[in-house]
Amino acid sequence: MSHTVTQYAVLYDSLRSRRARPVIHKGLDLIASRVRTGLVHARTRASYLLDQAQKTDQLAREYRHMSEGALDDAIARAHELFARARQDAERVRHALAATREVARRITGEEAYVVQLMGALGLYHGRIIEMLTGEGKTLTGSIAAPLIAWRHKRLHVFTVNDYLASRDAESRRPVYRRCLLDVGAITQELPHHERAAVYARGIVYGTPKQIVADYLRDQIKLGAANTPWTARHLVSQVGSGGEGLNPIVPGLRAALVDEADAVLIDEGVVPLIIARSRREDDMAKVYREAAALAGKLDEEADFTIDHVARKVDLTRRGQDRATVLFDDLLAHGGEPIWAATRRGEELLRQALVAKHCYLHGQQYQVVDGKIMIVDEYTGRFLADRQWEHGLHQAVEAKEGLEVTADRETLARLSFQRFFRTYPFLCGMTGTAADATGEMEAVYSRPVTVVPTNKPIARAQYPLRVFRAVRDKWSAIAASIEEIHAQGRPILVGTRSIAASELLSRLLDLRGLSHQTLNANFDKEEADLISKAGMGGPDAAITVATNMAGRGTDIKPDARALAAGGLHVILTEMHGAKRIDRQFIGRAGRQGDPGSAQIFVSLEDELVQRHAPLLARTLRVRVREAELRNTALAARLFRLAQRRSEARDRRNRSAVLRQDDWIDKHLPGG
Amino acid sequence: MSERSTFSPFWHRVRAMKPRLRPHVQITRQHYRGKRWHVVHDPSSNHFYRLNAVAHEFVGLLDGSRTVEDVWRLSLTRHADDALTQNEVLQLLSQLYGSNLLSADVTPETEQLLRRGRERTAQKAKQQAIGLMYFRVRLFNPDAILAWLEPIVRPLISPVGFLAWCVLVLGAFAYAIVPNWDRLLSGVDSAIAPSNWGWMFVVFVVLKLIHEAGHGLICKRFGGQVPEFGVMLLVLVPAPFVDASSSWAFPSKWRRMAVGAGGMIFELTVAALAALLWASTAEGQLLHQLAYNAIFSASVSTILFNANPLMKFDGYYILSDLLEVPNLMQRSQAMLKFLVQRHAFRMKSAVPPTGSLSEAGVLVLYGLGAMIYRVFLFISITLYVMGKMFAIGLFLALWTAGMWFVLPVGGFIHWLATNPGIADRRPRVIAASLGMAALVVLALGVIPAPDRRRADGVVESLADTGVFFGADGFVEAAHARPGDRVRKGDPLVTLTSDKLRAQLAMSEGVLAEAESKALESTVSQPAAAKAAMEYCEAIRAQIAWIQSKIEALTVRAPHDGVVVGQDPHALLGKFVQEGTPLCEVVDDTSVRLTAVFTQTEAAWLREGPIKVEARLVSRVHDVIPATTDRIIAAGTRDLPHESLSFKGGGQLPNSPEDRSGRQTTDAVFKGYFLAEGVASGEARGAAVPGERVALRFTLDRKPLAAQWYLRLRQTLQGRAKV
Repeated sequence: MSHTVTQYAVLYDSLRSRRARPVIHKGLDLIASRVRTGLVHARTRASYLLDQAQKTDQLAREYRHMSEGALDDAIARAHELFARARQDAERVRHALAATREVARRITGEEAYVVQLMGALGLYHGRIIEMLTGEGKTLTGSIAAPLIAWRHKRLHVFTVNDYLASRDAESRRPVYRRCLLDVGAITQELPHHERAAVYARGIVYGTPKQIVADYLRDQIKLGAANTPWTARHLVSQVGSGGEGLNPIVPGLRAALVDEADAVLIDEGVVPLIIARSRREDDMAKVYREAAALAGKLDEEADFTIDHVARKVDLTRRGQDRATVLFDDLLAHGGEPIWAATRRGEELLRQALVAKHCYLHGQQYQVVDGKIMIVDEYTGRFLADRQWEHGLHQAVEAKEGLEVTADRETLARLSFQRFFRTYPFLCGMTGTAADATGEMEAVYSRPVTVVPTNKPIARAQYPLRVFRAVRDKWSAIAASIEEIHAQGRPILVGTRSIAASELLSRLLDLRGLSHQTLNANFDKEEADLISKAGMGGPDAAITVATNMAGRGTDIKPDARALAAGGLHVILTEMHGAKRIDRQFIGRAGRQGDPGSAQIFVSLEDELVQRHAPLLARTLRVRVREAELRNTALAARLFRLAQRRSEARDRRNRSAVLRQDDWIDKHLPGG
Repeated sequence: MSERSTFSPFWHRVRAMKPRLRPHVQITRQHYRGKRWHVVHDPSSNHFYRLNAVAHEFVGLLDGSRTVEDVWRLSLTRHADDALTQNEVLQLLSQLYGSNLLSADVTPETEQLLRRGRERTAQKAKQQAIGLMYFRVRLFNPDAILAWLEPIVRPLISPVGFLAWCVLVLGAFAYAIVPNWDRLLSGVDSAIAPSNWGWMFVVFVVLKLIHEAGHGLICKRFGGQVPEFGVMLLVLVPAPFVDASSSWAFPSKWRRMAVGAGGMIFELTVAALAALLWASTAEGQLLHQLAYNAIFSASVSTILFNANPLMKFDGYYILSDLLEVPNLMQRSQAMLKFLVQRHAFRMKSAVPPTGSLSEAGVLVLYGLGAMIYRVFLFISITLYVMGKMFAIGLFLALWTAGMWFVLPVGGFIHWLATNPGIADRRPRVIAASLGMAALVVLALGVIPAPDRRRADGVVESLADTGVFFGADGFVEAAHARPGDRVRKGDPLVTLTSDKLRAQLAMSEGVLAEAESKALESTVSQPAAAKAAMEYCEAIRAQIAWIQSKIEALTVRAPHDGVVVGQDPHALLGKFVQEGTPLCEVVDDTSVRLTAVFTQTEAAWLREGPIKVEARLVSRVHDVIPATTDRIIAAGTRDLPHESLSFKGGGQLPNSPEDRSGRQTTDAVFKGYFLAEGVASGEARGAAVPGERVALRFTLDRKPLAAQWYLRLRQTLQGRAKV
């Protein structure tokens, strides 16, 4: 009986989440909503949080001398009060002091005042900025019980499966003591076991896994959007009809690690659940399109927009395409080529696949299959396919077996998903740059938590080269030089191809190094743990910019003695935030460290976002490396700003599109 | 048709849905430019949606048992390239659903419905705010009243009725209007005089009610509904309106046009009847004035608003149906936008709103016309309202300027800066936009345009002499009446004076006696003779004086001219004293025009007009060239003639303590102008001094922007002083 009741509750909760329709504000409404966000959260601004954290810290003595039983009682009391929403500022302080003490007794780590401040920020639904190495894991784990008590269920989002299961395991005793069950949703976890994990108070997982489960539930629930229409489901719940029960109970609260990456950068990436279309086999058509694409000339027949990944046929190109279509039809081509518009669309797609999607950058071929590479993290996106025939067009281009076209069953963008949570908080190393968007899209204010110790990282001057080739050799030389000092080095690249290029250059110089990118996903953690090694054979780690995000490179004693970790950025990223995040690996927790950025005027960033200025500067400058970098620095900052603005607009366009669909189409 | 992408990422949202049109929705077939369209109409909510043949077939196939995906694939195999793309299907379904024309097989979500309702309300409020110049207030549902009235007028709403109407209107025109054309025109003055405002308003309201009843009744006659009656504040003037939009679903374009024209047809019927009444009643009767008011407001409102297709009134809908170009306004704007995007910005992705060349031509012409009209309308309405009610006018102007110009321009700049569609050609697009803006600036700010101003004045005579009685006496005969032309020395009035005659006789007697005495004394007393002679002289002088007085009994014209003033005949038999004014003799062969200017106009007056033209009220068709004599740049509150003041039918307010009718509240400037043509004497019905005259001044050519700015500044300055 109670089982049925639970299942009914799960269904009810799930439907409630489904009906949540976050509103997108525009124009004046947007300004008004941001002002409202500011006012609502005005009480919990940084000074208040710090003050409360200090008061909590003063409770430490009392809790430290508490007997185990008394501590348990305190926790049970707090749990009960929170669950009934009877918490006030003082009770929150006591509850936090209790979880801090629990964490100290179990793991031996005692949270600093700034970590308490961060935890309070999380508890009050803020996005907090804490630099790498400042103990975000601990901060999260002392805040999580409070949130879970208050909101019944908490989803903690991590960057990857490894971190999800590691954190869930390492924090389990703490949460147990706080009367909460914890579980991790990972790729490997079989579907039938997931419902049990989701039922726990705190669930760790990657956004991808949880969103996918949520989406599958949506498909399962079909058109039902109220318990009333779902009554047939309810009746089957009672009879134990599996397959109709939602796996994910309603979305209550979320704590997002690396919030800027998840909420902003990947916010617009839609998660799509698709199935292969059975009816029509288009393999031949795609191969024919790929063949046609080879016959057209760039500029004369078509123009490419690399930024938008779009191809336009010129008038000559259209004429030639028509002739080619007729030719194909005459020689036993597919009948689809009779429809000119559809034919041109396929042709354009084939051209995009040929010119805008490059092997090693956007994808890799593994075992005769296209594996999409996430351009942010450099990781493989398993099970992901491009939509609407693009995937097939790339397969046809690579001469691989063309898989069946897939049709979308459901899709959800991360930002739409996270906005469904009534309670959302997050932590990241770099949130301040994204304050505007956090407020506009998620109505979440941002708090910067000060570091425990001052930062002692040295920023070496920017080096600007005319040609990209000179840049790479200078980077290799610089690595060799610093390596000779016995310091560990972390090198960030923007793409896998770049990291492979650098790897070859380092091989030529006889420098042993590790490469951290999509190809070595599983060994990542091990690599990171060794990346802080100093001494004569100090570690050199080459990683794509976003790889290893969320892990922390700890320089060993020898490395620290030699000057700590040195970070080299081989290119500026499209967003300043990501540069900052990467550079932040050096000089953690007040350690010594240094960072340097290398750029060239041929870099993609300036070529795309400030091509005219970059060309002007390249013409005016004669030397291989620019002596005066002030102008170039401004150029790169400009390009970065433009890129940030463009991404921001794209994201808001996706958001508005989602909203439009929500508003204008029937059903959920 | 370059970039119609077949697929949409949101297809899954509708793919498996099995929607169908709501059962009560009606579909009518209409033809536009030889193409078949289908109008989906929901009579309960008065929502409309127009479908082309392919879309109609698509919607038709949605029967609640097929999924959207099935229907789309079916349509794809049938129509290949012409089939709707997934995006178009989404658009279609969402719009049908949004207009409550479509029912889907999912439970409607209360929140979604409520949100949509709220947004629709907000949208309406926003439109109201934008169109503050056309503020609408809904009052009640007039359907029942119209349903009761409709059978009564039904026989009239037929081809025979139309013929009868034509006969009536043409007849009234031929019988009442044409023969009295001049009288009709000269009546304008009294029609717009403040004393008539009250009646004019009453007539206007009644006329507009009849107008709206016309729309409503014809709409009912052809089976439509009229669910709404209300009042629209058209530039603050209240005007009733009805919602006859259900006529849009009529299959016959002639019936749609009839509904659109119904208001004017009814209004002109009233105007025709009024014209007949006006022609058969005498001046001075209230009925006569009311009939005139009806003719006046019917014709003015028809010409300015109803028949004008450039604004969204009756004429617009009639034209739209006549040309078979639906959504004329919106699509002509889309067409202009497309032309700019395609040719100025070279955006290949721009899609024209029509594929037909002739329709495109219509759209372009209409779009340009409406745009230019809108700008000029805005400016003239603003200046007009500001002149009357400064604060309201200023607010209205700023608001409308914001809504019509600032917001769109701001939106356009935002689009220029952020639209990803023009990312690759932004410099070009910006340059083209700047170029177009420069053209507008050039046209308005640099290229000089004629600048004309107007002022009211009166005809004044240069030689304008008052005639006074030269002696006491009884008026015996009058020789002239006012308006009579007299020559110098012509007698005007003859007096008799027995007293003078008696005095003369007595003096002559005295003289005879004195002369004889003088003669006698010359002989007898030479010493006294001299004194006696002097006495005689004195008496002679007295006789001469008396004779001159007798001469003065006949009052004569001091110079050539026209008799003006009181009628001498009225004095017949009366005793008048010397020095009493009789009348004036005005020389109309040498007249000047005296105009008055308010202080705000002094600025351009000082600049000196390069050409002055005059029109006499009595001869509105003749433009008479004039020259500036002199401008008296000292303010005075005395008008040269009472006809320039409110009381006299002029433009200037009377001062409250004014008795003469010639005093204004604010000081005015006077200007004297000479016009040869005015003084053409008897030849062409000469100007009578005192007649009102309209003066037109042509100033140096100035760019339009400069002219508007000056006018605005003058208005502002004029107000600031009050």
